[in-house]
Amino acid sequence: MLLTDIQLDAIRELGNIGAAHAATTLSQMLMSQIEMSVPEIKVVDIGNICDHIGDEYVAMVVFSLQGELEPGGYIVLLVPRESALRLTNTMLGMTDMEREIDEMDRSALLEIGNIMISAFLDGTAELLGIVMMPSPPALAIDMAHAGIESILSQMDADVNEVILFKTELHSEEHRIKSDILFMPDTRTLNDILRLLQELVGSVQ
Amino acid sequence: MVRASNFFEESAIIIGIGEYHIGTEPKATIGLGSCVAVILHDETRGIGAMAHVMLPESNGRSDRPGKYADSAVPLLFDGLCAKGSRPQNITAKLVGGASMFAFFGNNLNIGERNIKAIKEGLQVRKIRITGEVIGGNVGRSVMYNPSGHGKVNIKQADGTCQEV
Repeated sequence: MLLTDIQLDAIRELGNIGAAHAATTLSQMLMSQIEMSVPEIKVVDIGNICDHIGDEYVAMVVFSLQGELEPGGYIVLLVPRESALRLTNTMLGMTDMEREIDEMDRSALLEIGNIMISAFLDGTAELLGIVMMPSPPALAIDMAHAGIESILSQMDADVNEVILFKTELHSEEHRIKSDILFMPDTRTLNDILRLLQELVGSVQ
Repeated sequence: MVRASNFFEESAIIIGIGEYHIGTEPKATIGLGSCVAVILHDETRGIGAMAHVMLPESNGRSDRPGKYADSAVPLLFDGLCAKGSRPQNITAKLVGGASMFAFFGNNLNIGERNIKAIKEGLQVRKIRITGEVIGGNVGRSVMYNPSGHGKVNIKQADGTCQEV
């Protein structure tokens, strides 16, 4: 899968818009400033995913992409375990960090993920002029690589490379970190690239 | 159960998704979910093989034999035999095949199906399974050193370790 620099830039910009929407919702939920990193975009061979996503202990809220692009691929909110506890503590008015992630945390994480990822997709879909919706979320709290490879095994068997689109959202005040991973199917990616091309063309 | 601070041996070859390795070198996989680490071990020669299997069936695809259960088992077995191992000395261990997300995706029970396809491949070749940590809903990292009597170390996200 070869993408030109222009295509990579276009996807980065698209992701930037999506992530900004997600950051805004997180900022409202936490009533706190959220910083956003410059999105990283990489085409990665499945055999090398472990160089980018390791065995760190994280909460993963996973959505499949639905709407006009179905089956469209996956989008994942990754929150390191400590950050996940701080996030739900902040939301639920608690302070205890020495506890296990319980049912209350899990439903809070699902809800937070749902709000953020819906905002991400709203932002990108608005730009592209298509409908992209998240499926109901699924949650796992485990090794990041274990979750991501389980998602990959749900994609087309011919997929040997994936686009890892990664943005970090960060709350200095609450010391909360999270990543958004966007893994479109090849067909979805092509559709997105075509729509972006048309968009750029119509401006020029 | 112990906490592992340095779980991976420094010299270990990391086997990524769909990859494999045959030889005397230590081998590891990071974070198995629905994928399965197939380990074939020859104790008499201190040599072994490992593949990081992602899907049960290759359906004729031959570009990445380590990625599919039905091509990975013969690949490792024939590879060990080609390096001088006798078939009757080869034993197997399996790790992984978990179901990380309940009720999600179209490809249901992919972990279970991976395990089943691998076991069929082992049975056909009369390879005995001497240890397995499979199924459930937790991710696992694996460390295997062929010179360590076929011992396989397994670590979970919370740091707990076990040995098979």
